[in-house]
Amino acid sequence: MLVLEGVSRRFGDKSAVSDVDLRIEPGSFVGVVGPSGAGKSTLLRMINRLVEPTAGNIRFEDRDTTRLSGSALRDWRAQCAMIFQQFNLVSRLDVLTNVIAGRLNHMPLWRSLTKSFTDAERTMALRALHRLGIAEVALKRADALSGGQQQRVAIARALMQEPRIILADEPIASLDPHNAKVVMDALRDINRRDGILVMCNLHTLDTARTYCDRIIGMANGRVVFDGAPAEFVGGVIEQIYGADGARIDERMTSTSLGVGGAGQPAPMPA
Amino acid sequence: MRPVRLDAILADDIRAAKAEMPRAFGRPWPARAAFGLGLAAAVVGLVALHVVYGLTPERLLSPDPRAWLLFVHFFDWSGFLTWEHRDILRSLGDTVAMAFIGTTLASLIALPLAFLAARNVLPAFVVRFMTRRTFDVARGVDQVIWALMFISVVGLGPLAGILAIIVSDSGTLGKLFSEAIENTERGPVEGVRSVGASPVAVQRYGLLPEVLPVFVSQALYFFESNTRSATVLGLVGAGGIGFELIARWQVMRFDEVAYVIVLILITVSLIDTISGAIRRRLIGGRQEADAAAQAA
Repeated sequence: MLVLEGVSRRFGDKSAVSDVDLRIEPGSFVGVVGPSGAGKSTLLRMINRLVEPTAGNIRFEDRDTTRLSGSALRDWRAQCAMIFQQFNLVSRLDVLTNVIAGRLNHMPLWRSLTKSFTDAERTMALRALHRLGIAEVALKRADALSGGQQQRVAIARALMQEPRIILADEPIASLDPHNAKVVMDALRDINRRDGILVMCNLHTLDTARTYCDRIIGMANGRVVFDGAPAEFVGGVIEQIYGADGARIDERMTSTSLGVGGAGQPAPMPA
Repeated sequence: MRPVRLDAILADDIRAAKAEMPRAFGRPWPARAAFGLGLAAAVVGLVALHVVYGLTPERLLSPDPRAWLLFVHFFDWSGFLTWEHRDILRSLGDTVAMAFIGTTLASLIALPLAFLAARNVLPAFVVRFMTRRTFDVARGVDQVIWALMFISVVGLGPLAGILAIIVSDSGTLGKLFSEAIENTERGPVEGVRSVGASPVAVQRYGLLPEVLPVFVSQALYFFESNTRSATVLGLVGAGGIGFELIARWQVMRFDEVAYVIVLILITVSLIDTISGAIRRRLIGGRQEADAAAQAA
């Protein structure tokens, strides 16, 4: 169980996230939606502690992660892997090394500094790449890959961490519809098969409905909606995105293949 | 689907993976052996050079007794009140002024030329080639050599030093500026070109705002660096604190030499502090943007 209590973050005099309370079941697939600047990224980054909360605490299995420091903090980071919108791979390293970087918390310093990876680690990395269907690019440089492939490499790196949680910060916002589906399917597969909790910031509402079993809506740093995908319609969207939100025709903004059919009603213009 | 867990990787899995993609498991042993031999040869060569040039512990640990005397003289400042402070400080001011004038003019000369030398601005090979070779000549000859040449043209004094800085640094800054221009993103240039702007306006709005912080930061560093190297120009007679330094060294006034060195250190760190503040203010806009992106 991942529990957030009164979590807040201020940047100067601007409040990015204020007073968020959440209880997230292990193994669930949670989507976080809301307009740009609503505090979604900050919320995710506070869980991994890339951003420090200014108030409140975040507990995972009754351990307060906001108090951790030093190697305990790094162990916690290894447990909650992070996926970024811009992939954040090391572009000058080959794919295999990028993926094995997911083990840096697990290996002694001298081995990471000399790149002395064991055969088991290399095999594990190849297996992670296999699972994402891109084993053949293992020896290419990361920047030689397409965006969709790079994001799958990033997911393979996350898998190497043997994480309990995967935090994905708009993982498909830079991808075309086909690659977006491949990446979201991979995250769902990891969530279902390995029971890893996935928490995912999304801009496309139909993607959130399709993949998530719980949707959290944020506006101005606060949680304004928390419920099942079926409840995420009409008035709720207006509440999150403002009065204009209800006018958003999802067929225009969607990046998923085959929206508009498939029994997903787009909200009616008000 | 086999789980991605380290403890689920068995010896058979490793064998299978090695058979499938051997190159993922590092270089083969002959390549590793060759690398090791090369490394060993380099270490042996390095040690041999140390011996040839007398850089041995034995030599370093038994210094000439005069070195100790020099060291003691450096720190005996009992005659402080009798030193010629006015001359020293005026020469220090000369040095800073030389560096400031020289760097400013060198930057102003390098700025337009750098655009001519950048591949993404000027695809015409001939102009770019000529500009680059001009830069090469200007910085290929050392500043001190330029100073000696200018001394024989305009005589001893700061003017020769300023001219030497202008010539050598317009070459170096031109090269650095043009490389900064070549490292910019194409997007903004394309955006400005797409509205129908003239070629010069495209550079002015699409490129200059991107590279200006880099230019200023490099020019400020060169101002600091020239303050130090203007000392050397003084040694050869091109004005400034270096002249005071060498004059005192020749008559063995080591206490004053140390004083001059301390003053140079203070000046350089002052310039560093000031230029750091200017740089932060100039790139401040970017930091605000980053903070906003963090908050989003």
